Amino acid sequence: MEKKAVLEIKGYSKVYGEGKKAADNVTLTVESGDIYGFIGHNGAGKSTTIRAVVGVLDFTEGEILIDGHSVKTEPIECKKITAYIPDNPDLYDNLTGIQYLNFIADVFGINSSKRSEEIEKYAGLFEITDSLGDLVSSYSHGMKQKLAIISALIHEPKLIVMDEPFVGLDPKASYILKQIMHEMCEKGTAIFFSTHVLETAEKLCNKVAIIKNGKIIDSGTMEDIVGNQSLEEVFLEVHDEK
Amino acid sequence: MKNKNLILLKALLDSTSQWNVLRHCKDKKKKGRIIGAYAGLAILYLMLMAYSLFSCIGYGKIGLTDIVPALCAMTISVIALFFTFFRTNGYLFKFKEYDMLMSLPFDAKTVAGCKFLYMYLKLLPWYLSISVAMLIGYEMYVTPSAVTWLIWMALTFVLPIIPMLAAAFLGYIITRISAGFRKTNIVQTVLSFIVVILAFSSRFFIESMIKEDKVEETLESVYESVNKTTAIYLPARWFQLAVTDTDIISILLLTVISVALFEILFILVGRSYREINSKLKNHAASKKFSMTVLKSRNVLNAIAFKEFRRMTGSTIYVTNASMGELMALVMGIAVLFVDIDTILYKVTEGAPVTKEMLYPAMALIAYFCVGMVSTTVMSPSLEGKNYWIVKSLPISGKVLYQGKMLFNMYKTVPFALFAILCLCISSKAPLLTTVLSLILGVCLCGFSTTWGCVCGIKHMRLDWENEVEVIKQGAGVAIYMFPNMIVTMLLVVVAVVLGRKIDQNIIVGIMIVIAAALAVLFYKKAMKLAEKQA
Repeated sequence: MEKKAVLEIKGYSKVYGEGKKAADNVTLTVESGDIYGFIGHNGAGKSTTIRAVVGVLDFTEGEILIDGHSVKTEPIECKKITAYIPDNPDLYDNLTGIQYLNFIADVFGINSSKRSEEIEKYAGLFEITDSLGDLVSSYSHGMKQKLAIISALIHEPKLIVMDEPFVGLDPKASYILKQIMHEMCEKGTAIFFSTHVLETAEKLCNKVAIIKNGKIIDSGTMEDIVGNQSLEEVFLEVHDEK
Repeated sequence: MKNKNLILLKALLDSTSQWNVLRHCKDKKKKGRIIGAYAGLAILYLMLMAYSLFSCIGYGKIGLTDIVPALCAMTISVIALFFTFFRTNGYLFKFKEYDMLMSLPFDAKTVAGCKFLYMYLKLLPWYLSISVAMLIGYEMYVTPSAVTWLIWMALTFVLPIIPMLAAAFLGYIITRISAGFRKTNIVQTVLSFIVVILAFSSRFFIESMIKEDKVEETLESVYESVNKTTAIYLPARWFQLAVTDTDIISILLLTVISVALFEILFILVGRSYREINSKLKNHAASKKFSMTVLKSRNVLNAIAFKEFRRMTGSTIYVTNASMGELMALVMGIAVLFVDIDTILYKVTEGAPVTKEMLYPAMALIAYFCVGMVSTTVMSPSLEGKNYWIVKSLPISGKVLYQGKMLFNMYKTVPFALFAILCLCISSKAPLLTTVLSLILGVCLCGFSTTWGCVCGIKHMRLDWENEVEVIKQGAGVAIYMFPNMIVTMLLVVVAVVLGRKIDQNIIVGIMIVIAAALAVLFYKKAMKLAEKQA
């Protein structure tokens, strides 16, 4: 499979009101088939970067391209091929699970048979089929997370952006999500996600970037970054050094 | 593929509709509450319809029926303007699902436009209630043709758009300006209050401009005002011409201009939508904290302070919950500088009411302002998803609601006392009347607080998507507000009328006893409800 840049972040910076830099000249590229881990301490700038990538947050400098489209000038084109799973999904509580998924399918123009097939498949995998008729307000955090994941997968995006996707998931759901991530990247989907679980990142990702105080302090393939150490050791080393 | 605007609009309506909850919820108690809220709302619409119908009958009886279409247009426009202005901040900006919606392939114009249309649809029953009732009233005297009925009803859907767009534009400007400041909420709140004060004072300004002669009869005075305002406010004029003369040009002007303004406004809003929302979120993230000495409070005051922070942290909450206090403050200052008889003449449209007649109603007038909204009616529901915090604290339900009530007393009592004192000084009320009025003011604040708390707990709703649903559309708020306001207005009239036959201080004394008794009664009821919740 030929590798192609799906997400390109070039010199991205985000400055807050009082001159505080949440992201400083961030540059990285996620290619098709990549599972790209984005790690850093709390407040390092991971979520800010992710929210800029998915077009939610405005940014000060730089360029973000998704499949060659600029997030700034062609946001709709970018969003059509991107799926975003936030760390704490704020879904519509007064919709039922199935109504919410149907809404997302409508937005992405997925035909009836395809949407039923996809929803059935993923809801079955995450074992929430029986709850799809219930209101989202009655869901636990983990169930909401599963619903958000399903909504991200049903439109077969080229890029999946996830902010701490494993938080709140039970062990089985975490395992299934990892399997799905592998399957998706085999099909050529690019995955970019933030996590604090370094063990998972090390096993799952082929590329990784470490961010500290808004700056990328190390990035590359997992082998290059880790060498013969563990990702945890590398992270602590570079975090303390730089 | 379906139209994206329709998809989003449907999702917005479904996601905030209690109807959807009713269909899918399994909790019978919750279903009962929803049905109760719908019934309450239906009663409110019926009350509004009755009021609109009777006002038309009043005009019909004195042969002024031709003013009804313009009056309908003006009433709907004013309601649309104010209702939208107070909702814009919560609906168009700073809404909870912003990240989710903006990460989907919608452009900013679609999101903002749909939010506006959603707001329009939510307010439509109010407009229709007024319009249908006034059309019926009009029909009783004019017997219009079927075409008139058709035009009237069709234009009712178009009529609110221009004032709503004007209010949304004001809200947009205010948010845009305030987004540039670090203290966004404070700037936004101050600007919102300025706009409201200007809007209220403009009423008197316009009236003084257009009233050249003294008009003796109140209805004729309104007739004059509406006629002259219609000449200035063209959409109302177009509605009137469309209905009375079947004027196609007026129909087209109203429709085309409404649609064009919608397009223009949302192209404008869409361009800076992400920038504004990003800035609004930036400020929350950019504040740097430095540790200082922390002030300790007792539990009740700590809860009251939390309520204060909750209120001031939300522009929509603070503008709605403090409007009455602001009115009391402005009224208090105004009566110190303007002769109270002059104000009375203006407000009552020339009715023969003197300041002395108002002595027994001083506290009620102040209460009409400060008691308009009680924070206790909203704060239980406003806990929303944070409800777990107060529930997991080592405090009883009683203490929690006592704290909430304490905050409302802190908020209302000083303003009520200030307004009463100013009214008494300005009208040169006797000392005993002044003291009794001050006591009555405190009792009424107590009543407002406890009655609000009962409504708030009984109609508590934590699963809201947008706080506007609680603050502006909550069943508890409606049940608290409307009877409270109507009873207060009636009491003012009763007190003034009775005050001419019975000693005014006795009337105030009786009201003190009743208000205090009701406050105690509702306090006990609130405590019982709080206990049940624990």
